[in-house]
Amino acid sequence: MNRRSFLSWGAVGVAALCSGVVVSLGAVLKFLTPTVFYEPPQAFKIGNPGDFPFGQPTFLVEEKIYVFRDRVKGFAVASAVCTHLGCTVAHFSSDDRFHCPCHGSVFGADGAVIHGPAPRALDWYEVTQTRDGQLRVDKDKIVPPTYRLMV
Amino acid sequence: MNIFQEIWKSIVRRDPLSTDKGKSELVFMNVWLHIHPAKVKKENMKFTHSFYLGFITFFLFIILVTTGIALMAYYRPYPPHAYQDMKDLQFVVFMGPFLRNMHRWAAHGMVICVFLHMCRVFYTGSYKKPRQFNWVIGVFLLLLTLGMSFTGYLMPWDQLAYWAITVGTNIGSYAPIVGGQLRELLLGGHTVGEAALLRFYVLHVALLPAVLILFTIVHFWRVRKDGGLSRPLWKLKKKTPPQLVTIGAPAEVAALQTVPASTTKTYGLMEVVTGKPIFETIAPEEADEEVFSYPYAFVREAVTLMATVTTIMTISLFFNAPLEELANPAKTPNPAKAPWYFLGLQELVSHSALLGGVVIPGLMVVALLLIPYIDRNPSRHLRDRKWALWIFTIFVVANLILIVIGTFFRGPGWALVPPWVHVTGGVE
Repeated sequence: MNRRSFLSWGAVGVAALCSGVVVSLGAVLKFLTPTVFYEPPQAFKIGNPGDFPFGQPTFLVEEKIYVFRDRVKGFAVASAVCTHLGCTVAHFSSDDRFHCPCHGSVFGADGAVIHGPAPRALDWYEVTQTRDGQLRVDKDKIVPPTYRLMV
Repeated sequence: MNIFQEIWKSIVRRDPLSTDKGKSELVFMNVWLHIHPAKVKKENMKFTHSFYLGFITFFLFIILVTTGIALMAYYRPYPPHAYQDMKDLQFVVFMGPFLRNMHRWAAHGMVICVFLHMCRVFYTGSYKKPRQFNWVIGVFLLLLTLGMSFTGYLMPWDQLAYWAITVGTNIGSYAPIVGGQLRELLLGGHTVGEAALLRFYVLHVALLPAVLILFTIVHFWRVRKDGGLSRPLWKLKKKTPPQLVTIGAPAEVAALQTVPASTTKTYGLMEVVTGKPIFETIAPEEADEEVFSYPYAFVREAVTLMATVTTIMTISLFFNAPLEELANPAKTPNPAKAPWYFLGLQELVSHSALLGGVVIPGLMVVALLLIPYIDRNPSRHLRDRKWALWIFTIFVVANLILIVIGTFFRGPGWALVPPWVHVTGGVE
C-alpha cells in the first residue's frame, strides 16, 4: 500500500466513522422523541349549547379553556394557558380581564396583553356545532378574537 | 502465625502504621485512599483556606446517593402512585419522613456548598494556571448539581413540583429554534404529565448521577495532577530556587548534602519506599511542613464527614420537607414559584422570558466557563486582582439579590409585596 492509497482509504474510514456517529446520534434523538402521545385529544366535544350560561365565562378544568356565551354574539372559546410560561390564567369578573398568577401578566377581555411579560395574546379556538347538536372545540385551529359561533 | 493473623495479612499487606513506610503504603496500596497523596502540606489543609467546602459537597452527595437509594424502595414514578408513595413515606413508612428530610436538606445543602466552593476557589485565585480546566469541570459540576435538583423537584408530584417544572421547562422552550423540541424531548409530551415524570425520574436516578460521578472523578484526579490542593494566600511568596538534596541515604553512602538543582526538571518523587538513596528536588523551606496524609488529612476528612452527616441529621429531625397537595394541572397556585435557587432566574423571567430565561443565564454560564481564560493575570494576591474581585462580587451579589427578591418580596400575581406585609386570600 502506497502513501496515496493509505491516505485516501484513511479519509474514507474517518468519513465513514463520522457519518456513523452522526447517524447514531440522530437515531438516539429519534428514539427519545415520542411517537405516541397519551394526552387528551386536541379536538373534543364540550357539551350542548344549553349547558353554558350567558354572561360569565365557564371554565373547563381538564381542557383549560374558557367558554364565553353572549346573547347577541354567540359562543367563543379562549385558552386559559398563559402565553408566557404556561400557568393557568384566571378570569376576573370584576374587571373582565385574565390574570396570570405566575408572573403577573394581565390580558384584556379580547385576550390581548395589557400588562406583564406575556409575549402574545391568549389563543382563541375554533368552536363549531356537530350534527348531534354538541359544541366542538379544536385547539389546533386558532381563530381571531372576533370569531363567534351563533347557535 | 495463626489463621487469624494469616487472614489479616492477606487483606492488609502494608507495613505497620507506626512506620513512615506503612503510612505511605496505607495510601498507595489502597484503592479508595490512593486518590490522596501520601503526604500533604499542612498549610493547604488549613480550614480557613478552603473551609473544606469541596469535601462537604462530596459528602452531601454521598448522603444523597444513600438516602436516594433508600427512597427508591418505595417510590413509583407514575402520577397516580407517585404522590401516594410520598404520603406513605411521610406517614406510614418507618423512618420515611427522616430519610426524605435528609434527602431534601442535603440537596439544598449541596447546591449551597457547590456555589460557596466556587466562590472560595475564585477568591483564592485557585483556578489560575495550571488549574484552569479543573475550574471548567467544576462549572459543569455546578450545572449538573442544579440539574439533579431540578429533576428531583418533580418527584413528589405535588402542586409545588408540578408548577415549578411547568414554569421551568417553559423557560427552556424560549431558546431559539430548538427550544420547543428540547422541551418536548425532555417532557416526552406537550405538557408535564406521566411521560415527563418518568423521564425526569430516569434523569434523576440514572443518567445525571452517572455523569456527575464521572465528572467528579475527573475533578478529583485533576486536583492531584494539577499540583494538589492550592496553596493558601498567606503562603504565597517568591519562589526560592529548588535544591537537589539526598534524602534517606544510608550513613555509609554519604552525608546529607544539598546542591543547586535544575529548574527545568519536569518530574518529581512520588514517595520513598525503600531505604536506598534517592534524590529529589524540593524547596527546603516547604519540606518541613509536609506531613503524612495518615493521620493528618484523614482525621480532618473524617471529622468533616461526621460533622456533615450530623448537621443534616439534626436539621432533618426538626424540619420536615414540604409536601403540598396533589398536583392539579387546572389550578395554578398563586404565586407559583420555582425552587429557591431558580427564583433569581424566575425574577428575570418575570421581566422577559427570552432575555431573562435564556440569554442572560446562557451568558452567565459562558462567562463562568471562560473565567480562567479571560483572567490571564498570573498573580493570586488579592491586591493584584481588584478588577476580577469586583466583577465576581457583583455577579454573586446580583444573583443573591434576585433570589432574595424572588423568594421574599414576590406575592400573589408576582406583585412586589414586602415579607412583613401579610396578604390574605390573594387574587383568585
